[in-house]
Amino acid sequence: MHAENLALLVALPLLTAFLLQPLSQKFAVGWLAPLTVLVTLLLTLQLGAGVMEQPISSVMGGFVVPMGINFYLDGLAWLFLIALQLSLLLLWPRGEQGQSVRVQVLMLLLTASSIGLLLSGDLFNLYVFYELLAVATFGLVAAGESRATAIISFRYLLLSGVGSVLALTGIALLYSHAGTLNLGHLAELVASGELVLPLSAFLLMLLGFGVKAELFAVNGWVPEVYATLSPRLSALLAGVVSKLALIVIVRLLVLLFPTPEASQVLLLLGVLGVLSGELAAWRAQDLRRMLAYSSMGQLGVIFIAFSLSVEAGLLVGIMLSLHHLLVKPGLFLLTEQRFQGWSMVLFILFALSLVGVPPLPGFWAKFALLTGLVSAGGWINSTALVVFLFATVVEASYLFRVVQHYHQERERHQERGRAAVSVVGQDNSGVWISTLFATGLLLTAWQIQPISDYLQQLAVQAGDRQQLSAIVVGVTEGRP
Amino acid sequence: MMEMVLYAGAVGLLVIGIAGLVLSHHLFRQVLALVIAEAGANLLLLLAGYRFGGEAPIWSEGSFPSVMVDPVPQAMVLTAIVIGVGIQALAIALLIRVRQQTGTLDREQAVIEMREALDQELGRFSTAPKPRSQYAPKGERPLYPVVEEGQDAR
Amino acid sequence: MSREQRSLEWTPLLFSGGLAFLLFTLFIATMFGEPPMRAGAMIQQAGGVELGAANLVTAVVLGYRGLDTLGELAILFASATAVGLVLSTQNGESDKQASVFPDKIFLGEIFESASRLLMPLLLLLGFYIIIHGHLTPGGGFQGGVILAIALFLPALARSGEIPLNHATIRLVEGGAGTLFILIGLMALMQGESFLQPLLQPGEIGALFSAGSLPLLYLAVGLKVGAELAALLVHLSGESA
Repeated sequence: MHAENLALLVALPLLTAFLLQPLSQKFAVGWLAPLTVLVTLLLTLQLGAGVMEQPISSVMGGFVVPMGINFYLDGLAWLFLIALQLSLLLLWPRGEQGQSVRVQVLMLLLTASSIGLLLSGDLFNLYVFYELLAVATFGLVAAGESRATAIISFRYLLLSGVGSVLALTGIALLYSHAGTLNLGHLAELVASGELVLPLSAFLLMLLGFGVKAELFAVNGWVPEVYATLSPRLSALLAGVVSKLALIVIVRLLVLLFPTPEASQVLLLLGVLGVLSGELAAWRAQDLRRMLAYSSMGQLGVIFIAFSLSVEAGLLVGIMLSLHHLLVKPGLFLLTEQRFQGWSMVLFILFALSLVGVPPLPGFWAKFALLTGLVSAGGWINSTALVVFLFATVVEASYLFRVVQHYHQERERHQERGRAAVSVVGQDNSGVWISTLFATGLLLTAWQIQPISDYLQQLAVQAGDRQQLSAIVVGVTEGRP
Repeated sequence: MMEMVLYAGAVGLLVIGIAGLVLSHHLFRQVLALVIAEAGANLLLLLAGYRFGGEAPIWSEGSFPSVMVDPVPQAMVLTAIVIGVGIQALAIALLIRVRQQTGTLDREQAVIEMREALDQELGRFSTAPKPRSQYAPKGERPLYPVVEEGQDAR
Repeated sequence: MSREQRSLEWTPLLFSGGLAFLLFTLFIATMFGEPPMRAGAMIQQAGGVELGAANLVTAVVLGYRGLDTLGELAILFASATAVGLVLSTQNGESDKQASVFPDKIFLGEIFESASRLLMPLLLLLGFYIIIHGHLTPGGGFQGGVILAIALFLPALARSGEIPLNHATIRLVEGGAGTLFILIGLMALMQGESFLQPLLQPGEIGALFSAGSLPLLYLAVGLKVGAELAALLVHLSGESA
């Protein structure tokens, strides 16, 4: 497959987004937007065929690399592209909200920017896609049903605005040192020792891109936003979109700042995130905000994982991210309506995996983190280990309080001689989609060995700076 | 050292902007502070491509100047400015809606309104009855709605 | 909120002061004025020949970093869409009547005639700046803003009357964005890369030069103008 077609993955959703409003005045276009995502999904599948052996790179406009912007597709990006587009298709807003053309347009822009965020190999271009993602999200938040959507969206915008100012400052600093913003080119310069990038640039960009990744200190928006968005959009943002920002940060860490100091900052912020998130979740008074806070905690755990050494850190981090990507959307979808028998079963399944009970994937991911932290040694990793174990206990406590409460309520209903809740006339699709996520979880548990082998390869590839710079900088040599 | 003034100005704008964001109590002033901070960041980016004695990278009188400033940051700043405009417009539209929804633009007041609205709306997810076990922890707990039959959860 | 609370705000001040110190020391250490131009130097050497644009910034904006420009158009579009969504939903008709431009206010003969006179001139200036974007400083963004102002001026003068209705603005919005992407896709169809410049670079400094860049800038200008006009129309129709 022609590598230049990578650009289509971003161009097609944008094209549909631009055309949707004029077209909607003549035709019914509700199907057009999901269809576009389906097309890009098929295109991704086709493009990614040989990507585990040989990542592909394509430069926009056919220029030489440090001048032009390139798209880079490796195994990691491909895996998350598939996950992103499948989740988008499953969680596409439906019903009343989905009828609005403007919501469809914003969803398409969200799609395009998320894909761009995974593919782009240029720092400033990443910033542009990140901002597009942010603006689309503000619009979707403001379109929610709550009475307080405007102020919530505004506070999110301000925080995100500060983040983008910091990220832009970081990019300026980096540019004044390096004179180029291409990740492959920068990785080559850093690896050859020609260039030492200032850690402060990493810190600024970490805080900037960390807003979406629910990094501690810039995650104040999380509970409010997830509580007012529709459960599907919360599932999408918490499950997939937060991982995209995370991948940007990880690429920065692995490619440009492979220093222990940078990892320690990540570890520190991760630990603080775990503590604050899990304790806040324990104190939360309703299910949605509880899930939102616990998402902050779990992202903190993932940050801790990525702060391990490059190979181990990438593997454990990717495992934890994928696990969270399956579990959190499933949990958020269950809040679409009240619990019944089946949704309680799903809730218990997700909760068990989240806490880390052996046959489920959550156990393997957490176990890998545990061994990673133990073998890394040092007081700082030991502290992280203690915090992580403590957080697991807190997690178990608040998740099973919900289960206990449900059973108490059911008993009370039965004492009063009432049947279990009737389900007639309710929209059950949320539970069905959640069941799909649970099936994915169980399949993962069943095939854990091949999957972890695959992830191992993926992590090795993502950490391979030589391959990246050879493909990105070398691919265009000999062109005009 | 004319250029150093610009450079100090850029850092100054950033700091004024961020300080304004933290200090101001009016939501509109926070937007203005964000605008100032963005201006600072843009100026820094622009200065990242400046070189002493450089001229604008534009063809004039038959050739390019011999020493030119870096055109890349200039192009990026152009992009960043337009992005900023988009975000500011959205912020102001949101402020109009905030004023209509809560009747105030004071920061603390608006946040209080928001908390109340959220607690009220999410109340349907936590009807917190008395814990029946003596081992159950005290206080409000994350609970799912207990819905009487026939009554909709929403 | 209360006066005591407001007086206790030395913490953020200290924070900002620390930030200032940090940033300042940080930038003292940078190679200010003598940056190691890597990408920039290559573009300075190749840009004029490769793309034929007299204004190298334009060559970067539309050629080397064309994708950024596309992303930025998408951001403006997202912002206009979101503003429309924010200000149109849950909005009863009662709000509409309390517009900033109530019908009664008559701003005066001078203002009205001047706006009528200025509008075509501003349109002309906007298009001039857009079309000369590859030769002189200026281009799609600057010209687009002038176009938006030209369209908005009559609205200011004649109490909310916009010379273009929403449908037209939407059409231009969508059409201009589509044009940009289609020019990019056309190169892809010919087996080149997305957004590869088409046509011959021509002679540097001539009006008809730089290949497809002026066309792209025209799309950018129309798009920016339509988005900003849409934003202004939405915002002006509201009362806070």
